Parts: sequence; C-alpha cells; structure tokens
Amino acid sequence: MSSIPDDLRYSKDHEWVRMEDEFNGVCGITDHAQEMLTDIVFVELPQVDMEVGVREQVAVVESVKAVSDVYSPVSGRIIGVNTQLEESPELINDDPYGKGWIFKIEVKHPKELEDLMDAAAYSEYVESGA
Amino acid sequence: MTKRTPLYENHRELQAKFVDFAGWELPVMYTGIVEEHNATRKAAALFDVSHMGELMIRGRGAVALLARLLPTRLDKLGPGKTMYSMFCNDRGGVIDDLFVYMKGPEDYMLVVNAATKEGDCSWIRDHMVTGAELIDMSDEIAKIDLQGPASPIIAERVLGDPSVREMKRFAFGTFGFQGHEILVSRTGYTGETGYEMYVPGDVASGLWNELLAGGQGEGIKPAGLGARDTLRLEACYSLYGHELSTDISPVESGLSWVISSDESYIGREVLTGQLAQGAPREHVVFELEGRGIPREGYIIRRGGQEIGTVTSGTFSPTFQKGIGMGLVARGTATVGDAIEVVIRDKPAVARVARRPLYQFGGQRKQ
Repeated sequence: MSSIPDDLRYSKDHEWVRMEDEFNGVCGITDHAQEMLTDIVFVELPQVDMEVGVREQVAVVESVKAVSDVYSPVSGRIIGVNTQLEESPELINDDPYGKGWIFKIEVKHPKELEDLMDAAAYSEYVESGA
Repeated sequence: MTKRTPLYENHRELQAKFVDFAGWELPVMYTGIVEEHNATRKAAALFDVSHMGELMIRGRGAVALLARLLPTRLDKLGPGKTMYSMFCNDRGGVIDDLFVYMKGPEDYMLVVNAATKEGDCSWIRDHMVTGAELIDMSDEIAKIDLQGPASPIIAERVLGDPSVREMKRFAFGTFGFQGHEILVSRTGYTGETGYEMYVPGDVASGLWNELLAGGQGEGIKPAGLGARDTLRLEACYSLYGHELSTDISPVESGLSWVISSDESYIGREVLTGQLAQGAPREHVVFELEGRGIPREGYIIRRGGQEIGTVTSGTFSPTFQKGIGMGLVARGTATVGDAIEVVIRDKPAVARVARRPLYQFGGQRKQ
C-alpha cells in the first residue's frame, strides 16, 4: 500500500500539492505514481516564471522504460523548481512527498484546490485501479 | 485473450508486474529493472521467455529447405551447435531473426520470435520442399534463460553435471532434470555468459524454482522483459520490429555477416547487391553526451540536417547515460561523430560509438 499523507490535495494524474500559505504550493508526483514508474532516471523541469493552466503539462519524468508527463494540478505561475532532481532523479522514488518535490507554484485561483481530491478520495481512486 | 506461460503462477508469487507482449502476459519486472539488470551483469538472473517459438524442421529435405530460407552458410553448423540467422524476403527485408539448432543432419530446431511465429510457419510452408516437415512445438516447450557470470556454477549445481560448465559458446546439449530431458545451450541475449534452457511445460516450474534456490548464494534474481531490453541494448543486439523488419535489411541493420551462403536462398540478389554496393541506410550505435534518454522514433540529425531515426533507446544502468541504436542515411555518420537526437523538440548531443557498447562478458569496448 502506497503512502498518502492527509495534508495534501491530489489530482487524477497522480500529482500532489501542499499549500505553504494561501497562494503558494509545492507539487510533485505521488508515492503510487513513483511505484508504478519505478527507477526514475531523468527529470525535465519546467521554466521558472512560466504561467500554467490546470492539467497543463509542466515536467517530464522518465523511468528506464517509460516517459511520463507531469501536469500542474492547479493554474498559476511556476516560482521554483527542484534542481537537485537533475543530478538525483531517484529522490522522487526515495521521498516523493519530501526531497522529491518537483516545482513550486503561485496559485492563481485557490478555489481550484477544491476540485482536487483529499487523501481519502485519492486513496479510493488509487484502489479503484486508476 | 492473452496467453500465459507455465510459469505464470511462479511470477505471481514473486509479485511480478506484468505487461502484454506479443499477445502474452509476461513479467516486465519483479523488484526493479535496474536491480535486475545489475544482478545479470554481476551475478545471475533468470528470465522466462517461454513465449518464444520452437519450430522443428525434420526429414531428408530439411537441409534443402533451410538452404532456401537462410542467407547464412549451413556448414557453420554441426550437431550440437547453434547459429544466428534470419528469414529474408525477396526484397531483402527480414521476416524474422532466429537461432538454428542442429540436432542431427535431418533434425533442426528454429527458435523464433513470438509475434512473428505464425508468419514464419506460413513462410516455411510456402517454401516447403519434398522430404521436409515442419512441427510447431512452441506450446509444449517452455524456455528459461539463466544469464550472468555466476550462471555456469549455478547450472552445474542444479543439473548435477560438470560438463555444463565446460560448454563452449553457441554449443548445446541435453541434460537430465528430475527424470526429464532438457535442452541447454550456451547462448543468450544479455551480453553475459549464460544458458538458454528448453524444457517441457510441466517441468518448467520445478526447474525455475531449483535455479532460484540453487543460485541464492550467488545472488540470483528473477528478471523481466524490462531488464532484458536494457541488457540487450547495451550489448547492441537487434530486436525484431525495431532494428529489423520487412522494411530493414540485415545489411542496413549492421548484420551483413549473416549473409554468407552460396546457395540460391530467397533474397540473395538484393542482399549480395547491398553487400557489394551498400544499402540506402546504415545502423549506428550512440551514447548521449549529456542528460536525456533517447527513445524509439526520435529523429536523428547531424549538423541540423535530419539523417535518420532512433530504433531503440534507453537509460543504460551500466554506463549511467542514455544509449541507443538508430538507422541513418548511408555515409552520414560514422564512429566518433557527434550527432543530435531530438528529444521533445530539443536536440541532445550524442556520439556515434563502436558496436557493441558492452563487450560480451566484460566491459566497454575501447
């Protein structure tokens, strides 16, 4: 069973967002997503200052076998990226909710967070085989 | 309806992740591709490749039939020897690549790809000669590959026969296992020393478990198709449907050495013509200089000009960088040249390298 922390919001594409204050969030991919990918060996990060829409592709995560797009769970402006992932992409496997964060976003419409799943709903979503 | 091998339950117990491959439900990995890859390079790994086809060609017409179908000299073979070859069409395209096992002067086994097996059978029947017969034994035979430097000691322990350690590369023989006869060849698809074992379906599970138990001290691991692909790519072995197809000739895929027969085999005119004059395209092996992973279908450029495409690419666990093989217009890139692989619209610099990247049983070729 993969880990699903209670304090995060989750997207159907298996991204998470942790709000640090009302407008600033940190995003990454979930433990379930990294388990499905396994052995992450390459991460392509978004440009800082880029404006993104909901479910817009912002990053790419590659395992040995597969290329996987990462989407932004909310709309806003990218205000930071985890450059450590360029040298150590495996941080996503080791610590998907901590050192494996991918980007920080200034959220444009905090109301969009309500459209994301809480831990209980995401857990159900994962178990349903999505 | 996907097919399952006789080892399906063994894989489930080992918590394999499955993938649909050529209509078969096969393990893509157990614990992780990199871990399984490294186990094969440093110790040993076990692969279930029972999906592959085993076609028996028998009778006094067997040699005449094979001489018509294969571009490779048959006198390279002898009883107990195997060789790599392929079926080509009259345009020089490849219908399938395969291993030929000579059991006796009138008794041969062809090991073929799962996805192409039915087409192979039709092709053989279409060119059948008097006195030869084709028997498809694929449903009766399971195939287990034991690969890695510790393979000889594990094989000896499990088969209880020291002669298995002494076998030469591309040799095969029969060995006893729990009262059954199994065929074992010193061959493989990983770039490491090892064996391919052909066993009756109902014996497969017992042999699989014995090999895993027998190799525990050496650190044996079950390995899936994911590691099989990264291993064969480092060793620069072709995979049908990628480096070889009905649209790609053996000359174009860098396998000209299979064209050696003096018989009137199918495709001879085109193939010998390409040997003499060159083919429109040629095969390259390359390594990325920076970050990034080449994937099948990516465009290859040189000096901004498109010259070809990537046929297979991956992240190499051994060399810790992106590696790949590709098909480019003849004369556009040679060993040592810088090329660009276009990854998501951005060119990444790669260096054309000597084949193979990973030399058999050892290290990188310098």
